[in-house]
Amino acid sequence: MLNNRMLAVIKRELREKLLSKTFIFMTVLFPLLMFGIIGVQILMRTDEGNFKIDLVTSEVSLTTDFQNELTNSDLNKDGNYTFNFYTMDKAGLDEYLITKKKELLDGKINGIIYIPSTALKDKRIEYYSKTPKDISLSRRLSGPVNKVLIDNYFNNRNLSKEELDFARKGVDFAGFKISKEEGIEEEGYGNLVLSYVFTFLLYISLLMTGQMMMQSVIEEKSNRIVEIILSSVSAKELMAGKIIGSTITALIQMAIWLSPIMMIISTTWIALPAEISFNITMNHILYLLLNFGLGLFTFLGLFAMMGSIFDNPQDAQSGMWPVMLLIIIPFLMAISMMENPNSPIANVASLLPFASIMIMPVKMTVVEVPAWQLILCLVINTATIFAIFPIAGKIYRIGILRTGKKPKWSEVVKWLKYKY
Amino acid sequence: MYALEVKSLTKRFNAITAVDDASFEVPEGSIFGLIGRNGAGKTTTIRMMMNIYMPDNGEVSLRGVKVGQDFKNRVGYLPEERGLYKKMKVLETLLYFAEIKGKSGREIQKKAEYYLKRFDLLDRKLSKVEDLSKGNQQKIQFIATILHDPDFVILDEPFSGLDPVNTNLLKDIILEMKQKGKVIILSTHLMDFAEKLCDHLAMIDYGKIILKGSMKEIKAKYSQKNVSVNYEGDIAFLKGNPIIEKIENFGNTTGIRLKEAHQTQQLLKALVERNVTVKKFDANDISLHEIFIELAGHDIENGKEDGHA
Repeated sequence: MLNNRMLAVIKRELREKLLSKTFIFMTVLFPLLMFGIIGVQILMRTDEGNFKIDLVTSEVSLTTDFQNELTNSDLNKDGNYTFNFYTMDKAGLDEYLITKKKELLDGKINGIIYIPSTALKDKRIEYYSKTPKDISLSRRLSGPVNKVLIDNYFNNRNLSKEELDFARKGVDFAGFKISKEEGIEEEGYGNLVLSYVFTFLLYISLLMTGQMMMQSVIEEKSNRIVEIILSSVSAKELMAGKIIGSTITALIQMAIWLSPIMMIISTTWIALPAEISFNITMNHILYLLLNFGLGLFTFLGLFAMMGSIFDNPQDAQSGMWPVMLLIIIPFLMAISMMENPNSPIANVASLLPFASIMIMPVKMTVVEVPAWQLILCLVINTATIFAIFPIAGKIYRIGILRTGKKPKWSEVVKWLKYKY
Repeated sequence: MYALEVKSLTKRFNAITAVDDASFEVPEGSIFGLIGRNGAGKTTTIRMMMNIYMPDNGEVSLRGVKVGQDFKNRVGYLPEERGLYKKMKVLETLLYFAEIKGKSGREIQKKAEYYLKRFDLLDRKLSKVEDLSKGNQQKIQFIATILHDPDFVILDEPFSGLDPVNTNLLKDIILEMKQKGKVIILSTHLMDFAEKLCDHLAMIDYGKIILKGSMKEIKAKYSQKNVSVNYEGDIAFLKGNPIIEKIENFGNTTGIRLKEAHQTQQLLKALVERNVTVKKFDANDISLHEIFIELAGHDIENGKEDGHA
């Protein structure tokens, strides 16, 4: 099957693609962008910066209690939060707010928390800030504030320390991932981030490689070089050579893109915080690449077919929507199924031809997928190649030598009956 | 034995029969002309010979064996509509075309450089193809056609767009290849070139072969009644003369067709008697162009491309 002529075609494709500026640019740029995405995700989920908070209560004893609690808390010791404590009543606060308004707006202080004595009964406290909906602040402060209020509330009642501790404790929703092999593990949101990264990379690579394939077929067709090439190699050899060349290029690119992740999971010297750790293995990545390679074959066959039908990029862009849908729909499905990876639709889609290329790697990143499904997915994708190629190959063979006006789809279907 | 035999080739595209039961033979060591107007079926015939199209009927055999990959490896094909990879470098392009013919290595590179030098392009070997002029790109295409030292060379309208200097260079190389015993198939609608270069030909019109054989035989067959004359004076008296069938003015020369072959002497005598100064009297001469018109019954639109072939 693989002969010297095909090797020559593959070599040319590789040389043209691997050394192209677009390829080098995209290959280098992407990991940077990806690290950027991960970095932003991490930053958004962790606190940062120095918060200056004024804490105002209406009673001196309460102020002292908060002062004791917060100065000893991790918040203060980390240096992320600086507190100033004041005691004043509601009227005093209103005046104080007016004097501090400029500082609040300038960000010299981030917020003022007012804890009236009524809070001891209803736990209602007030927060004045430019950004009062700051979730990370309320998440970090609600614990200590709650503790002081509870302590005060139960202070005069006869309760043991254990009872008090229980009452003080908030609910901790720790997520645990159930998997077959490794027992139960605490799960961060690292894999969720990963599944986004995988989806985007696969999507972008599919689009890019496919477009490049189509352009290159159109170029060969429209400047008639294809006729010279066909006097040496058969259409089948040319098409296969081009597809193999492009697949290799895309896999190399994908491997480079995924190399930061491979580095993180295979070494210990890049330690991510526990809550964003990547819980995947090298086999996972290899499976992704293998599955992607098989899928690329199918898609590149379709892109080459599309390129052969049209004479110029404009016609091709407007005529190729069926193939684009096969990429865009699975992409949207992959994004939405991250929320609910075990839904029946997700289960079916992860095995469907065309869709499984993006959906399966994403699904296996967020949940445990049985081995038989992984194998079945590969089998289905391989079978798709064998189903698609007789058709795509025939249309390609006829299309690349056709010139003249844009053919109708009905004509393209007729080509299948031609003896060429 | 013939080098190539084309037997009853037929190719239909929907309702149109592009090539209709075409048969001809290409002898060893010949320059063979496949001649016809644009759209007559020349390129489709060649594509079937090259195995690019599958014929609906008929076959092509190479020294008695049906053509296949072996023939593809031994043929150099210069299509009528031709292109190159714009972003590829000149030398790289040549080596790639040789490589898909199964030839690679130092030898081929040396040879590529030899031809580049001959076509005065050696200093451009590292240029990108897109930076070359159209004429120079055509030279590259021609070098790519012959670089792998093919036994058969198929040239489809090779002279279109070439300037006179390069046309001559191309002609020289074609003759050189003939001397080396290569078989050259020249497809063209330019009768003049075909007449000067080819020793065998097949004439195709509306997909059918309307004439084939060696140039000598064909000319002999059609020329017996034809005389071409260069003269000074008035030959109007010939009109209505019982021995004359037709007089055609080609500008510099006048073609006169007689009713019978043995009447040439009578014609010469008549001209001399009427004091016409005969500068050239070429009996038994007919141009391919005239033969074509006689057979196909219509003129060839010289140099007019209609895009179909």
